Amino acid sequence: MPGFVSTAWRRLRYLFHREQLDQELEEELRFHLEMKVLEGREAGASLEAARQAASRRFGNATRVMEESREAWGWAPVERVAKDVRLALRNLRRHPVFAVVVLLVLALGIGANTAIFSAVNGILLHPFPFPEPDRIVSVHTYHVSGENSGAGYRCYLDWRDQNSVFEEMAIVPWVGSYTLTGSGEPSRIRGGFTTWGFLKVLKVEPVLGRFFSTDEDVQGGPAVLLLSYSAWQSRFGARSDVLGRTLVLDEKNYSVIGVLPPGLIFPGVSSFEFLAPLHENPRNSRNQHQYGVIARLKPRVEVGDAQAELSVIAARLEKQYPETNTGWRIRVSRLSEELAGEAGSSITVLFVAVVFVLLIACANVAGVLLARASGRAREMAVRASLGANRWRLATQLLTEGLVLSVTASLLGLLVARWIIQIMLAAAPSQVGLEGALRMDWRVLVFCLVLAGLTALIFGLAPALYGSRTDLSLTLKGGGRPGGNPSRSRFLSGLIVIEVAFSLVLLVAAGLLAKDFILLMRVDTGIQPDGVVTFGLDPPYAKYSRPRMLSFYEQLLSELKSREGVEGAAAIDTLPMAGGYSGSGFLIEGRPKPADWMDMAANLHHVTPGYFRVMGIPLHRGRDFNPGDRLGATPVVVVNSVLVNRFFPVEDPITRKLLIRDRSFQIVGVVGPVRHSGPAVRTEPEIYFSHAQAGSWQMHVVAKTHASARAFNALVRPMLAARDPNLLVLNLRPMDEVIAQSVSGSSMIVSFLGGFAAFGLLLTIVGIYGVIAYSVGQRTQELGVRLALGSPYRNVYWLVLRRAVLLAGTGLLIGIPAAFGSSRLLASLLTGVEVHDLSIFLAIPLVLFGAVLLASYLPARRAARINPIEALRCE
Amino acid sequence: MGKNSSRSEIPPGTLYMLILKTLVRLGPMHGYGIAQYIQQVSDEVLQVEEGSLYPALQRMLVKGWVEGEWAQSENNRRARYYRLTAAGREQLQQEVSEFHRVMQAINRVVEPA
Repeated sequence: MPGFVSTAWRRLRYLFHREQLDQELEEELRFHLEMKVLEGREAGASLEAARQAASRRFGNATRVMEESREAWGWAPVERVAKDVRLALRNLRRHPVFAVVVLLVLALGIGANTAIFSAVNGILLHPFPFPEPDRIVSVHTYHVSGENSGAGYRCYLDWRDQNSVFEEMAIVPWVGSYTLTGSGEPSRIRGGFTTWGFLKVLKVEPVLGRFFSTDEDVQGGPAVLLLSYSAWQSRFGARSDVLGRTLVLDEKNYSVIGVLPPGLIFPGVSSFEFLAPLHENPRNSRNQHQYGVIARLKPRVEVGDAQAELSVIAARLEKQYPETNTGWRIRVSRLSEELAGEAGSSITVLFVAVVFVLLIACANVAGVLLARASGRAREMAVRASLGANRWRLATQLLTEGLVLSVTASLLGLLVARWIIQIMLAAAPSQVGLEGALRMDWRVLVFCLVLAGLTALIFGLAPALYGSRTDLSLTLKGGGRPGGNPSRSRFLSGLIVIEVAFSLVLLVAAGLLAKDFILLMRVDTGIQPDGVVTFGLDPPYAKYSRPRMLSFYEQLLSELKSREGVEGAAAIDTLPMAGGYSGSGFLIEGRPKPADWMDMAANLHHVTPGYFRVMGIPLHRGRDFNPGDRLGATPVVVVNSVLVNRFFPVEDPITRKLLIRDRSFQIVGVVGPVRHSGPAVRTEPEIYFSHAQAGSWQMHVVAKTHASARAFNALVRPMLAARDPNLLVLNLRPMDEVIAQSVSGSSMIVSFLGGFAAFGLLLTIVGIYGVIAYSVGQRTQELGVRLALGSPYRNVYWLVLRRAVLLAGTGLLIGIPAAFGSSRLLASLLTGVEVHDLSIFLAIPLVLFGAVLLASYLPARRAARINPIEALRCE
Repeated sequence: MGKNSSRSEIPPGTLYMLILKTLVRLGPMHGYGIAQYIQQVSDEVLQVEEGSLYPALQRMLVKGWVEGEWAQSENNRRARYYRLTAAGREQLQQEVSEFHRVMQAINRVVEPA
């Protein structure tokens, strides 16, 4: 055994046999002393004299013991343990103090830990994959500025022609499918991807294998891999799942493997299976729909990859001028991209939550400081028993550390709770599930935070508390109000709290105002009384005519039911995300230089859709049952398109060329904010569903019934038609709109919550400090009252301090808020960063709150009984 | 603690060496015996104080240079006897040779040329 190991081993052994070893040491010293006495006796001294001489020579036996013990190297630890025990005893003796401080700190630390888990999961370590920095995302964009996905064919070209990537893959294209054949039909979310996906991420299936290149092509065998959680929950983690056949949307797939646990891809919603993505031969080059990722070869930089892909893009432009003109490629690190998307809101929340914690620290420091004056005697006693200032300070710091570590343990619970709220509130397509995880980094952060907070809130009390004036304090004298430096420090804390609070409140106020404006925006539809649900009849079972008649019959039956005023369907529900755009031409006008100059979003609707959704018909007519296959192809356009392209002429009966087919405009409707309230309206073109067709549709119905009653009406109706068909996401239209802004509403409510917590702490802090100062000045105030000073003056005397502190805090806070609100710029849609009303109202509110908080102590001051106050002297 | 001119403090850093050497000469011995021996052999010049002897012995235990075991003393009391270990022997050699080196060096400086 090497020397240091055995030494360490002996040290450890000491720790566990400390009592025995201490006893041995004591016995050894006793033996020594006895031998000394014996020696003296032999020299002829009396027993008494020999004893005395021996002890004198021996000196302080306790010190010898202590110094001998230090040889084992545990002395500092023992001192800390003693301090910790002392601190715990102190806390038990003051339960109210302990509970309040722990609660404040636990909330502060917990909120920080929760937000840090988002910072960690989204900004710092978004991918649980090896060498995540080598994963890049490959984008296509049009020279006109439009970002877009890649066509399958383009992806194949890039993959085959590049020399910079180890592997390249299409990001899973996730959708939901109906799983039948094993019990009740259920909905399963799955992604279609190419065989390189796991190779780009550098992960392996835990069971079976990933699909091969020949399963990846058109007409290849239908196979899939289950996600780890789906394997656990749906198939009981049985290994005989390999080779089983699953029926998805009436098509058979055989299971060839199980994905590793926790395989999530940032920005992609969770999936329960992955299957090979096949090329859609029609229009595969200009269907810009797929995300592409790749892994850089060793020693290849992003710039190198960019250079080569640019060359490839230029070559493709020449080769396929019809489809590839103007399309360029941009390569960027995936991690940087994700940080950009969620970054600003997370940064804002993180800054806010750090402010909250600082306010909490200031508060706790104030409480500890006020308590320190109550403990002056205890400290003086300790000092007189030989503890030096350093020793007292470390003891007080240890107390702080005990508080903050306990609080951080509670804080972990708070953090878990906050994370659950965040997950529940976040829109599911953000893919937060995997990002908000409590890994070791979060735990370390929480502990570091505990140490830092202890230092921040414990340092001042430690410095002030350890400074004792022995003779004065022990005599019980010393003027009670006589610590000007301490009271200056308390004032400083309050000023800081007010300033931080103001910054938080202003930020919350700006976001809240912005959100309220957003909710008031006219979205173009009247959601009242509209209930919606999705249907996805499988392509394999429903031919086009069958699908069309299915919808037609379903809608007419719905309309005939009592309480249903109207029913219709659309393929792209407003504000639910997901629609496609396309360029178009106007017959009789020249082709635009760039097709992006004439583009619109496309939707397919059934007759009556506009009436159900409350979209006004400006001109012409709605679709009618006659607009079916064989009849003249028609479209309805929105007023944005008309204003932009037909500013003077009447658009009705004009013809549009869309995807090489001609459509006649028959009506003009009002604009709808399809991408959510915050996004301005764009040109929209509506097709008649019976003429173009889409299998997946959202039914919208105007009804007096509640969503639940409507559900009870719809389900049997559908079960009678096709028991395997699922009703998807049945909910009121209001909810769809609310969900589309759930990202902003989450930030508003979190920031609002943090600001409210900060405000509460500030008010409590001010109340505490003013009450403390009233307590310290009882005698002075009593004298003033006794001498006939009116109550009014006493009120003012007390309030003056509060006004002064709040005023100073606001003077610092307003410029700080002014500067920091710039951080919010990217989160605000309708409100100026320096919105005047917020910058006027919030300081007033805060000032009022401070006055209110100091009113109670002031009233108490005015009611001081002069006689009692003077008797205390 | 009275100091007189005939008694000297043990030069810093040499206490370990003295203890180890004592244990080589005497075999297993208790702390009191070690102190007595150093005192007698040095003709009462070197005074080993309890305040440094016992911490030093504890440190030597930690380092594994000596081992302690309880046994009956010559006057039938229980005492902890310290015994040299192999590591202790090695340490002694090192310390002795280092000591000689330093002594020679000091001699060269203080002796007249």
